[in-house]
Amino acid sequence: MKLAYYPGCSLHSSSVEYDISTRKVCAALGIELVEVKDWICCGSSPAHQYDDLMSVALPAKNLAMVRQTDDLKQVCAPCASCYSRLKVTQQRLKDDNLKKDVEKVIDMEYPEDIEVLHMLDVVTEKAGIDNIKEKVVKNLSGLKVACYYGCLMTRPPKVTGKKQYENPTQMESLVEALGAEAVDWNMKTFCCGAAFALTKTDVVLELTKKILTDAEASDADAISVGCPLCHANLDGRQTQINSKFKTNFHTPIFYFTELMGLALGIEAKELGILKHITDAGKFLNERALV
Amino acid sequence: MKVVKQENIKLDSSFAQEIAKLSGENVFLCYQCKKCASGCPSRMFMDSTPTELMRYAQLGMVDEAMKKNTIWYCVSCQTCSTRCPQDIDIAHVIDTMRIIGQQKKIKAENNKLPLFNWLWMTMIKYMGRAYEAGLVASLNFFSGKPTKDMALGMKMMKKGKLKLWPSFRKPFATMKMFSRAKKLKK
Repeated sequence: MKLAYYPGCSLHSSSVEYDISTRKVCAALGIELVEVKDWICCGSSPAHQYDDLMSVALPAKNLAMVRQTDDLKQVCAPCASCYSRLKVTQQRLKDDNLKKDVEKVIDMEYPEDIEVLHMLDVVTEKAGIDNIKEKVVKNLSGLKVACYYGCLMTRPPKVTGKKQYENPTQMESLVEALGAEAVDWNMKTFCCGAAFALTKTDVVLELTKKILTDAEASDADAISVGCPLCHANLDGRQTQINSKFKTNFHTPIFYFTELMGLALGIEAKELGILKHITDAGKFLNERALV
Repeated sequence: MKVVKQENIKLDSSFAQEIAKLSGENVFLCYQCKKCASGCPSRMFMDSTPTELMRYAQLGMVDEAMKKNTIWYCVSCQTCSTRCPQDIDIAHVIDTMRIIGQQKKIKAENNKLPLFNWLWMTMIKYMGRAYEAGLVASLNFFSGKPTKDMALGMKMMKKGKLKLWPSFRKPFATMKMFSRAKKLKK
């Protein structure tokens, strides 16, 4: 299987381990990823609240570039925000007038037939859970994982097309195929504060604390995520949360691709897991998972 | 009984119409069921609820809608838009109010979002991609808190999670896109 790959800005910087683990896991599953030629930022957090036309023109340009990348028709994005912006654009450009305007802005033809996938869709639906199960060499048994989806991987369903948007279970079935236990918990689609990380950090600390508290109360050892921003907030802000709320969180936060990589027999270091802010290496050592 | 003179009852729907024109969303569909307010994770920080915001828009109460912190505390999590029984994309309505607010330079208290948006969009315009380290540094500098998140930033840098230098990706292409969009809007 050959797919166009739209990593997005975060995966080239603050969540480089998501990029590393995604590439490694896809290679192990026989999925060929071709990075979208000359991709640009999708407009992510600012565009939709600053400039409506650019908020659809930027993703549209990237979708047009997908066609120029080996004439591919499927593109996958690991970042939930990129995924959402690409999907929203497809939805909104069904309006012919807007489409005409956008084509003028990007100075290219907008392709309507591109399939946009989140990386979780790629591994669970395209590669298939059974296929992954067969390839597991190191069972993650004993690991209790809270699967966290956040907002944009499932919402709004009109955009994502997801049927289970209040209680998704895709990541749970993946994690269980790897041998780990997926815990039942309440906060799987609760917002972490997302793009307020830099502008309204207090909101992020408050919301992230709620998520960490519920994961702990549900007996989870770790949280699995599929969004660089969720990871940055949950993983990077634990020290600040502990000092603000007098808590003692040290919950390791994994990208689902990292858990897959471990189960497929790839070393933690090679997957970039040691780059986490909240130490995950020691955690894996204690459970003999490295 | 208090008698209200008819001419004192004024309803102005121009704000709702402006929102409809920009977003395609009809705020008059809202019947105040409060599902959006109940599901809103950011509600505790807001001056009024998203439900009240919809009412302000219906009644043309522009100051209540635009000058309070409510619209600036929306985390764009899409919960309200997902659950609205009247299918109003509330998050899109709030985005639209923010765009109106930024264009008309309506100031809300302690609000860094317009600066954040401007910085990031400027980066896209001239570099093609976001430059995280530069965004954090310039945002903290311009908002007068240059040392905010310094410890976290240092840790990230140590782990190779922050690129010190921006990468330029065909900047002329994005600059041209922005200028074509500007012309089109005129």
